[in-house]
Amino acid sequence: MSKEVVLDCLGEACPIPLVKSEKAIEKMAVGDVLVVQVDHSCAMKNVPEWARKQGYEVEVEEVDDGEWEIIIEKTK
Amino acid sequence: MKAFFEKIKENEFYKLWFKDALPYVTGAVLLSVFQIVTFATTGNPWGVSGVFAEWGAWIFELFGGSVDKWYYFSSPGAQATLNAGILNHAPTWRNLGIIAGALFAAMMASGFKIKKIKSYKQVVAAVLGGLLMGYGARIAFGCNIGALYSGIASLSLSGWVFAAFMFVGAIIGSKLLVKYFM
Repeated sequence: MSKEVVLDCLGEACPIPLVKSEKAIEKMAVGDVLVVQVDHSCAMKNVPEWARKQGYEVEVEEVDDGEWEIIIEKTK
Repeated sequence: MKAFFEKIKENEFYKLWFKDALPYVTGAVLLSVFQIVTFATTGNPWGVSGVFAEWGAWIFELFGGSVDKWYYFSSPGAQATLNAGILNHAPTWRNLGIIAGALFAAMMASGFKIKKIKSYKQVVAAVLGGLLMGYGARIAFGCNIGALYSGIASLSLSGWVFAAFMFVGAIIGSKLLVKYFM
């Protein structure tokens, strides 16, 4: 059974969302999904960039003005 | 407003010009072009943080103070700038333009949001960091724009020295960030 981890990074500037995402996904099992909530546009760029480079499945959703959810599936 | 953005959301030119971030190379080229424009029109290379010192001097004068005897403002050039007033100060208008432009860009991308302060640590770090950056930029005669960017653009060695030590500072800063904010 895969689980979903939500990481609240609202109000946190770069590079904290990226470092937190790296640490969070380390502890997760293959198949788990990490949802990173961010409101700094730079995190909306560098977090997906890092995750795609790792070979993970990434989707970015705009949930509100200036607020995004980065959905990362740990595929390997 | 919401309906307006709903309507143009799918428009490819809206996405290209307002919604999606420009590639880094495009941004770099635009910055280069506009710093040449600012040099050509004002006669001085682009700077941002020196303006804050002048704003401080004008505010101080507003309350009856005088900076005539201060070493930082003692040159005839600095005195002439202060005497000409804020309305005739091109760098002030440029800084206001940067703020207005950034606000406009964020709003057009429907990315404007008033962010909440997450912890008192953020306040302490922001105040301390701001004071250090402001003080450092003044005693170094420039920030990462005036000393680094415009320095290198003027083929000055000092810009490269600034870059090397800014890199060292960034490494130390990242370590502190991970230590106190993780």
